[in-house]
Amino acid sequence: MAEENLSRRRFFNFVGWGSMLALFGGVGGAAAKFFYPGVLYEPRSTFNAGKPDEYVAPTGSETVVVDERWKKNQRVWLLRNKNGMYGLVGVCTHLGCTPNWFPSEHVFKCPCHGSVYNVEGEVIGGPAPEPLYRPKLSLSPDGSMIVTTGLLGIRRSNLQTTKKHKDVYWHEDEKQALVKPPFFLPLQS
Amino acid sequence: MEHNQQKQSPLKKTLDFIFALITNNPIYKSIFRVGYPNTLLKRMAVMRSSFYMHIFPTKVGEHGLKLRYSWCMGGITFFLFLLLTLTGILLMFYYVPEEHRAFQDMKDLRFMVPFGVILRNMHRWAAHGMVLAVMLHMMRVFYTGSYKAPRQMNWVVGVFLLLLTLLLSFTGYLLPWDQLGFWAVTVGTNMASATPLMGYEGPFHELLGVQIDNDIRFAIIGGTRIGANALVRAYVWHCVGLPLIATLLMVLHFWRIRKDGFSGPL
Repeated sequence: MAEENLSRRRFFNFVGWGSMLALFGGVGGAAAKFFYPGVLYEPRSTFNAGKPDEYVAPTGSETVVVDERWKKNQRVWLLRNKNGMYGLVGVCTHLGCTPNWFPSEHVFKCPCHGSVYNVEGEVIGGPAPEPLYRPKLSLSPDGSMIVTTGLLGIRRSNLQTTKKHKDVYWHEDEKQALVKPPFFLPLQS
Repeated sequence: MEHNQQKQSPLKKTLDFIFALITNNPIYKSIFRVGYPNTLLKRMAVMRSSFYMHIFPTKVGEHGLKLRYSWCMGGITFFLFLLLTLTGILLMFYYVPEEHRAFQDMKDLRFMVPFGVILRNMHRWAAHGMVLAVMLHMMRVFYTGSYKAPRQMNWVVGVFLLLLTLLLSFTGYLLPWDQLGFWAVTVGTNMASATPLMGYEGPFHELLGVQIDNDIRFAIIGGTRIGANALVRAYVWHCVGLPLIATLLMVLHFWRIRKDGFSGPL
């Protein structure tokens, strides 16, 4: 008899505390969820960059021309070399500042902690752990370039490994990936 | 006796009357309940019966009052917190945390608002001073061994208060919406993306499917980049959330000092 009473008490104890925990868990989860906005009013990650022949091609001993016209509004550089065009996302892979292009030294330098990148976006100095991200380039039917930065651009080390961003592309070979669409737009010059 | 009464001047009589008028009424007596604190018992009763005094211990050792012992750094920190609250509320009358207004409002505070430049600079320097005072306070507590038993809990509360002070500084940094604060907060919040599991660049993030638009940084700044959402969030945390938590912890901190008393000289 006594044992039966005890087990009933324990049962209600479990039910009581269990529903309390469920309530607190629910409220806590809802509070956390509250801080994740359902809609963002951020700039589009896709933009029309005009026709490729609006971009200066390298001449003579020049290997590449860096175009800065989209830096301020889109945080993207479009670069034209002798074979075609590619882009670099102007977000330092260290902690997210915007690097600056130094034409005389032919490098990008980040003003925050001094990371240095070459025209391929590769790190040649400073604390940056990874090369600059690259946007996806494609041609629309009327011949103008569509630049897609994804959310931050495509991270090079992600190409084969993880699905970190929504539009991650898998490629057999990383070097190949960067000279082929969608990260490179071949042009006849 | 008689001789004295005869000598009492009309001036003294008038003063006595005014004194009685001030002190012999319910309002005065409800504020100063104990009367003139001319005995030890009355002095302790003053501390016990007044709301404003009750946060202090009824008795403090002489050594605990010496400036060279306490540096008064805790008191200075609290004073600066009150100053920051006051000037902060006044700044809120003119500042709007909106992308296109924030920087302009800060400029207006400096150049167009009457006494605005003094107000803003008081807020700014008091904030710097509070960080400094908190750290000196912490050093003093360490040097005098005041973190030892039975005061361990107050040390832990103090560490949280230090963290809150730094977070208040950090959130306030973004509000002028200038290049300095913008990039500092960009850098500072990007560090959150390296949090294990919860940050999109941190270790094991892929186990939970964490990406740039659902990680912990996204929850902090309300977007994938520092923008309008981040500004409003910094504002609300800076003006409401963090001061409220800090106030609650300060109440606990002061109450614990009262209960534990001051630590003795080394």
